[in-house]
Amino acid sequence: MIDQMESAAKGSDFDLYFGPAHSGSGNFGVKLKINGEQVVSAVSDPGYLHRGFEKLMEYRVPIQNAVISDRLCVLEALNWNLLHAEAVDELMGIDIPERAKYIRVIVAELSRIQSHIIWFGVLSIGIGFDTGFKLAFGYRDYILDLFEMITGGRVYPTGYICPGGVRRDLPDGAEEKILQVLDKIEEMIDLEELENPVFKARLKGLAVLTLYDAIRLGATGPVIRASGMKTDVRKDEPYEVYDRFDFEIPVRYEGDAYARFLIGVEEMKQSIKIIKQALRDLPDGPVIDKKLKKPRPKGKIPKGEVYVRNEVSRGEGAFYMISDGSGMPYRCKIRGPSFLHMIPVLEYLLKGVQIADVPAVYWSLNICPADLDR
Amino acid sequence: MEWGIVSRLAKNLFSKPMTVRFPFEAIPIAEGYRGEHHYDIDKCISCGLCAKICPNRVIEMIEAPEAYREKYPKKYAKIDLGKCCFCALCQDICPKGAIKLTKNVFLGTFDRMVSIKYPSFPEEVKSDVAQNST
Repeated sequence: MIDQMESAAKGSDFDLYFGPAHSGSGNFGVKLKINGEQVVSAVSDPGYLHRGFEKLMEYRVPIQNAVISDRLCVLEALNWNLLHAEAVDELMGIDIPERAKYIRVIVAELSRIQSHIIWFGVLSIGIGFDTGFKLAFGYRDYILDLFEMITGGRVYPTGYICPGGVRRDLPDGAEEKILQVLDKIEEMIDLEELENPVFKARLKGLAVLTLYDAIRLGATGPVIRASGMKTDVRKDEPYEVYDRFDFEIPVRYEGDAYARFLIGVEEMKQSIKIIKQALRDLPDGPVIDKKLKKPRPKGKIPKGEVYVRNEVSRGEGAFYMISDGSGMPYRCKIRGPSFLHMIPVLEYLLKGVQIADVPAVYWSLNICPADLDR
Repeated sequence: MEWGIVSRLAKNLFSKPMTVRFPFEAIPIAEGYRGEHHYDIDKCISCGLCAKICPNRVIEMIEAPEAYREKYPKKYAKIDLGKCCFCALCQDICPKGAIKLTKNVFLGTFDRMVSIKYPSFPEEVKSDVAQNST
């Protein structure tokens, strides 16, 4: 009897599958080796959301690829639109109109905010705080209303940011509406900053990623900023018109899940600051390059190769594109920030945590299976 | 502000809901929304640009049925809404404005064949054909 009790207290090893059909994980699985309540090791199991975009893009012209590029990450479609458009612009050597640059920044930052709101929502549901999830999706809808008005679609802008500029101008009264929505978002940020005891109890000191490990495992974006590195592509290598705006890069040094959550909140504030400045300085003029005004089913991209990197909301996203002189890219390699967050970083952080903390660690990294699998 | 969320939740008990009761009321859809296509066969010049630009290869140029071929001898757009991503590139490229995306979003169906939109012919032509055949 005592032997049995002792062996039960030691715990037994077994495998636990977190995902791919788990409501908390998206289309992504983690194979956990469990001892009692503790995770001994974790192996990521990606590939359930592979849609082959890199290959699809080799058979389509840039304007069609702009439509496809939305789906690289559903939750921040406009950031990926921007990244694709920048790669093609650089290959074609187009200098896009000033107004288009400002509109691109405004919609990309709005997209970043709504992605961070979702992050708050899923992190809340990961720790069992369902109210946060409902709040987040309620407030996100205000931004989706803006997207519906500006781009014509709520979630998928379908290539709104296209090579040469943007596909349509801001509608009448858009500026005021954006400012109204930003007020609502500030309300949401106040709610997030309420020092919720649930968040503190569940996230403080959980899954600490030191700066050394963050660099070694290839973390970027909010994850590495929460570990103490001040890095942001918008500041380090400014694209579009980011160098004209005054904003800060939030940094925290704790490296735990709570620090990552706070970085997300702080980044939303900075995005609001950027949008307000962009709306103030928004110039008049055309929104798309003359030559690309009408979509063309045929056209030439000059020979060359280009590597463009951007700060998408999850980290550093990049496009590597080679053109062989025909109208379609010869090769298109996409670097999704979630790839390194979901495989080496997640596997490293999950070692030693309790089963109940697995979703909290998973979502504290702000990851998206869609841009991992592409 | 340790328990700030609780006071906030108490406040929410007396505030208006964020949602609307859908079948009875709805949030208005913005101008320029990309919904179901409206295809005007009389404006169409059968250039086929929409079929070429479509990223999902949704549009196929087909011949009109035998009965209408006299009035409509060229090829016209057949749109498979099941494949469509509603990008509106066909609307942007159309030189005559024959394809327009409307605000209709109620496209859910149980029958896959319903989602294929064949070019529809004007009522006058249909009645003409009916008269001639009798």
